[in-house]
Amino acid sequence: MIQNKVEKIIEKYKIEFHNSNDFASRIFNKGEQMVGMLFLKSMTNPELFSQTIYMPLQQCNEKIDEKTLCEKILKNNSIEIIEEKNIITNILDGKVVIFSDSFQGIVSVDVLTFPSRAPTEPPTSPVIQGPREGFVEDFKTNLTLLRRRIHSKDLVFKSVFVGNKTNTKVIISYIDGVANKKVVEEVERKINAIKIDGVVDSYYILSFLEKRPNSLFKQIGNTEKPDIVASKMLEGKVAIIVDNSPIVLTVPFILMEDLQSSNDYYTNHHYSSLVRVIRILGLMIAIIAPGFYLALQLFHYNVLPLNFLITIADTTQGLPFTPFLEILFIFLLFQILYEVSLRLPSYLGLATSVVGALILGDTGVKAGLISPPGVIITALAKIALYTVPEQQSQITVLQVIFIILGGSLGILGIVTGLVFVVNYLNTLDDFSTPYLAPYAPRIANDLQDGLIKHSINDMKTLPKSFPNNHKERSK
Amino acid sequence: MKSISARQTGIILFLTILANKILLLPSIMYEKTKADSLFVMMLLFAFELFILWIFFSLKNKYPNSSLKELLQKSVGGKIAKALIFVFLIFFLFKTMLTYSVIYVYLKDLVYQDEFGLLAIICFIPVVNHGVVCGLRAMSRSFELFFYLVLTGVVFCLVIAFFTNISIPYFFLSNPKDIFNTCFTHFFSFGDYLILFIFMDKIKFDNQGKKTILKFVGLGITIVLAIFLIFYCKYHDTAFMHNNAIADLLVFSVQFNAIGRLDIIAMVTIMALGLFQMEIFQYAFCESFVMVFPKLSLKYAIAVFDILFFIVYFVLIGKYEFMIMVTTNYLPYFSILSNYILPSIIFALSYKHKKELKHEKSV
Repeated sequence: MIQNKVEKIIEKYKIEFHNSNDFASRIFNKGEQMVGMLFLKSMTNPELFSQTIYMPLQQCNEKIDEKTLCEKILKNNSIEIIEEKNIITNILDGKVVIFSDSFQGIVSVDVLTFPSRAPTEPPTSPVIQGPREGFVEDFKTNLTLLRRRIHSKDLVFKSVFVGNKTNTKVIISYIDGVANKKVVEEVERKINAIKIDGVVDSYYILSFLEKRPNSLFKQIGNTEKPDIVASKMLEGKVAIIVDNSPIVLTVPFILMEDLQSSNDYYTNHHYSSLVRVIRILGLMIAIIAPGFYLALQLFHYNVLPLNFLITIADTTQGLPFTPFLEILFIFLLFQILYEVSLRLPSYLGLATSVVGALILGDTGVKAGLISPPGVIITALAKIALYTVPEQQSQITVLQVIFIILGGSLGILGIVTGLVFVVNYLNTLDDFSTPYLAPYAPRIANDLQDGLIKHSINDMKTLPKSFPNNHKERSK
Repeated sequence: MKSISARQTGIILFLTILANKILLLPSIMYEKTKADSLFVMMLLFAFELFILWIFFSLKNKYPNSSLKELLQKSVGGKIAKALIFVFLIFFLFKTMLTYSVIYVYLKDLVYQDEFGLLAIICFIPVVNHGVVCGLRAMSRSFELFFYLVLTGVVFCLVIAFFTNISIPYFFLSNPKDIFNTCFTHFFSFGDYLILFIFMDKIKFDNQGKKTILKFVGLGITIVLAIFLIFYCKYHDTAFMHNNAIADLLVFSVQFNAIGRLDIIAMVTIMALGLFQMEIFQYAFCESFVMVFPKLSLKYAIAVFDILFFIVYFVLIGKYEFMIMVTTNYLPYFSILSNYILPSIIFALSYKHKKELKHEKSV
């Protein structure tokens, strides 16, 4: 059977796409001219296809070539002439590729469609006051959300494709003149060097950006809120947006960022300072409270006030477990309940709470398996953990470590553990940024936005904890 | 090179001034010179400031040179190594002394029962890790814990101050006793020698010098205040209280509803002990690498750990033996390491500068 050029091309790409069910081709005969079209049904909007491509072609009475197609016939804003080597990429991007035996050029028309949700408030960072928009999976929407906040020609979006199979679009975003060039180049270098089959979410590229990917501690910032990303970029940070992920990464990162909340900037700064102090206390309680309680109970009971000591002695008498095993058991119970509540359908949530709180907790105490002080201390630590929810995974691991240290070595274990962790944190300096800045080392300028937050009027200069170019913030 | 700031240097000095002088020293000194030990301390601090003065002069002349470079240019490689070797020995014993003091406190007051293995499990890995992390990471940690330690120490002082205290009798000892006590406690001083070991890593200007002096002044003031309040509180029974800062709290009136407060002293002493051990071990390792340049820092840490275990079985935990060694034998060594050696370095550097000037003029 003799095939013409259009049929040959269609056949070739059918094989390239392994006769995939959603791969579609159309042949349109216009007099002696034959026009071919290739596209993915799953990625194209049928109405848009019909209105902007098919109907105009049908109604057209003149000879078709690339120029008339682009300028007169097709009723679409996103039309471009592409090279043959880019046909597959364009089809995968949800475009219709048009070609003919009567002209050489290949025209690509964007009729992409896919299910997308509205930029609603992210469940991970709700605010009482302030913007409630959150990033979505569609990167174009995310770019719009940022552009709307930073009306500046200096806002730059650079795209890179990562993943041999997924070919995912990764966008490096920064404000030119504010972000440090070396940081931008370093981010670009790291992203370009990624060799991976697929990037399903931004978390996939996170470990490639970290200096120590095996570290327990978070070295890259992440958020779902465009206002946070915009404010970080205004400080000179670089944002990394990954297509199909609502989580945007930011670098450089310091621990203090997780102790700050977007709420802090939309309320009175005195109140924000108080809340930040409570957050750091919450963080410390979450990490060391169970271990500290064990250390006191096992090694240093003589420093406890007498009344408290009597209460503990009364409630722990006759328990089948040692205090160390008791705390580990309660901790395990809480962790199981937490994991269950994450994965269970919401209508079963209430049942889990009842089972967890009443049956396991209350009955456990009444049955003499666990003691009330142990339950209270562990529950306090677990609740305090959510004063800094961004560090939840790190704190949970540290809790276990400090339970072991406090239970086996007493206060000395807790102190040496803390010194060890702080020493380690001080070695983290990705992108020349000290992890515990502005407190270690002390950077006086940045203390204005530290635990004690000053008014925006007082923050005249940009933070000095991490590299940035622009110095002034306000006059 | 990863350098440290004047503030961080000041904090390192503050912590080293405090660590081994606020536990055992006040009671040991009291045995010989009673409350006049305060004057002994003042005298020893004055000597200590002499070392600081030498360091500042050297830093002015050679802001970017390391001790090894400085000595090599003046006296050649072998003598330079021999001189640094003295520092190496000094820091080894200093770390031991710090560990012994903390050990005695923890064994007597906190853990009571068998504590040896527990202490080693706690201290050695953390101190080694601190050295591996490097001077910059350590100094940043000290910066973070500085206010915590300061609050702890000041809290102990304030609580003790508001209990029954009275001014002790001064000027009961004769000058000979005072100078004798000075001599016997030389080894508890010489903390500023650490500055010579990493002098090339310290960056500061004239303002920075003031910052360092501010922290040194604060440290000295606190130590003297602890001595004074300790003697005001215990008078003639002071020699029985081996853990000064802790005893200031332990024997204070309990505040209603707060309970025992000695946990604050406990945490402060543990942190101070760890920090001082870290910085002295780091100084040991740096000296080791200067003396044996072909070996890396990891070898230095391994050698330190081996020596530590050997000395641990000889010295640590044996309270009387430890005091006898530090007050009878080590003072002679301390005179060499604390005062003669820095003076030699200073003189050599001066000579080296003259030679350089002469060469230039020729």
